Amino acid sequence: MEDFLELMVSVCEAGSIYGLVALAYQIVLRPTGIINFAAGEWAAIGAFAAVSFITWWKLPLIIGLPMCILAVGLVGWLTEVIAVQPLLKRDAPELSPVLSLLGMLIIYRETVSSVYGVDNLFVPMPFGFGRVELGSIAGTSQSFFIIITVVFSFTLVWLFFERTMWGKAFQAVAINRVAAALLGINLRLVTAMSFAIGGAVAGLAGVLLAPITSVHFLMGLPLAVKGFTALVIGGVGRVEGALLGGLLLAFVEKVTIRYAPIPSGLALGAPFLLLILFLLLRPSGLLRARGEQ
Amino acid sequence: MRTKYNIKWYGLFSAILLVAAGLWSATATAQDTIKVGIITDRVGNSAAWAKPIEAGLELALSEINGAGGVLGKKIELVYESDQSKPDVSATKARKLIDAGVVAILSITNSPSTQQAQTVTMNAKMVHMTPANSAGYLTTKLKNPYFFQMGPLGSTQIRTLMAYNKKNNFKRVALVKDNSGLGTYLGKIFRQSLEAGGTKVVAEQTIEIGSTDAIPQMQKVRAAKPDAIYHSGIVVSAMATFFKAYHQLGLKQPVLGSFNLSIPKYLEVIPGMMEGVAFIDAYDPDKAQSKAFAAAYKKKHGKTPFSLPAYGYDGLKVLVSAIKRAGSTNNEKLRSAMAATKGYVGVLGAKGQSVNFTKNRAGFSVDGAVVRIIKKNTHGPVVHSGTKN
Repeated sequence: MEDFLELMVSVCEAGSIYGLVALAYQIVLRPTGIINFAAGEWAAIGAFAAVSFITWWKLPLIIGLPMCILAVGLVGWLTEVIAVQPLLKRDAPELSPVLSLLGMLIIYRETVSSVYGVDNLFVPMPFGFGRVELGSIAGTSQSFFIIITVVFSFTLVWLFFERTMWGKAFQAVAINRVAAALLGINLRLVTAMSFAIGGAVAGLAGVLLAPITSVHFLMGLPLAVKGFTALVIGGVGRVEGALLGGLLLAFVEKVTIRYAPIPSGLALGAPFLLLILFLLLRPSGLLRARGEQ
Repeated sequence: MRTKYNIKWYGLFSAILLVAAGLWSATATAQDTIKVGIITDRVGNSAAWAKPIEAGLELALSEINGAGGVLGKKIELVYESDQSKPDVSATKARKLIDAGVVAILSITNSPSTQQAQTVTMNAKMVHMTPANSAGYLTTKLKNPYFFQMGPLGSTQIRTLMAYNKKNNFKRVALVKDNSGLGTYLGKIFRQSLEAGGTKVVAEQTIEIGSTDAIPQMQKVRAAKPDAIYHSGIVVSAMATFFKAYHQLGLKQPVLGSFNLSIPKYLEVIPGMMEGVAFIDAYDPDKAQSKAFAAAYKKKHGKTPFSLPAYGYDGLKVLVSAIKRAGSTNNEKLRSAMAATKGYVGVLGAKGQSVNFTKNRAGFSVDGAVVRIIKKNTHGPVVHSGTKN
């Protein structure tokens, strides 16, 4: 039992990170219809921001963490200004912004490798790396910090979408862009905000992950793949779907490695099998948008 | 009209003089130095390894030139980066030969060095790798102009197995990452362990980019091994391995490959690798290593590890051969290199030396050592050689 509870902490930790990246995809996708495959690179930029603010400038976490989130939010907003808005203005084909963002992915990666180099970089674990036991549940302080921070972040984003006028505007744009524009909603501002908030959310994932894996310019791609898989599983319609998708993905991944009687190398393929199953059997994901119900 | 005509001719004459002076000056510079080509990697997968080797080369260069050079001339290093791409490496070898180098040192990865050999063998140019460990470099091609100074992979594994036997580890777990080299080393580890009668009770793979390694390490813990072998090389996967190791309260000794001799791991996961045993070719207590460390610290402001020593020893052996050959003639230099015997450099266990007289892979089979990480630094040698 102790073994299983340890594993569940690991599932929640990994699922939280995947869920955050899925949420970053979702926040951009819903109002704009654009799949932003650069979300993983935003997370990597968040990790590099942590190297600057927390490792090099030695800012305390309580100041460094919000600064990293703001920095990546700014990167998200700039991305919209540079790579998306000019295409939307010119009524470019639907696929154009997706391709443009793939180009931005390369630019981000090359820029961070030029500025920070190709070596792995260190970000300290704010509360140490030893084992922490809460009754029969065991993990590291970083595991529990990640889980608490992600639950708090998802609650904030959920409140934004469900309880504020701005959130309602996002929902309206997601349902029907033309009707939302006729109602006076500023589409340009909603698009820009979706990129800024999406960047901030992905950046948070990178900052939380940096002390565990170290920081490297190629770290964005695996996060982008896992985040997208979590998005497909959870569905694009609801904030909580991203978290649910992340947790289910992590559960299948970890439980297969731990308990399936197959070589661990093969077990690494389990999440992708899950992705294929969802695409075939439930392409809308676990949770559908309220309007679709 | 006449004046204008004269000015035209004076101008042309001056231009010819200038070009001639430039050519003469370039020729004079070329004749004043002995050029040695270096095929390095500054942007590819091996850049992190090649950079410290370059630092060692530069130290050896300053010492050699500070002592007057060789054959009355200074040594000049001509660098070319191959991005760890074999085809590019061969092109760079050709470029260096055209630039007039007398020999080439490859400090890139093994496949690239192998490809560059196809060019140097054809040109009958002395070619040496100070650090590559792949055994095939001196066996696949019958190239008498190629020499290898780094410890072969087989030597390193045999040394680690001798240490394993000494510690009587009967049941071990094997953990690797899913990188190409990590998987390859894992296979070699398993074969060597089983050939020595050690049972591999668990084998686990950590995915590059994964957020933790808890399920894999739970399986390792459940198998109750005497020790854990880690053949991985990717830093992020190594970080998740050690985080899980501590989180799950594991106490078994961890043994790693020669890749752990790179201090980057200690910088990225400080304090987590205490007590880890790893293969190295560098004994910091050896007299030659102490002198090297002092000179390196003076030049570069930091304490060296094994990689800079590969570059340092490599250039010193080559220059010693040029000196003994008394010439930079390809054939004479090849003969002098092949006659290298009993060279005691910075690398290698105490009492071991480099010999090319029997084998073009000159690192002694008993030259590798096992060291332990202590206080987040590469600690003392606890075992050397392939005997128990």
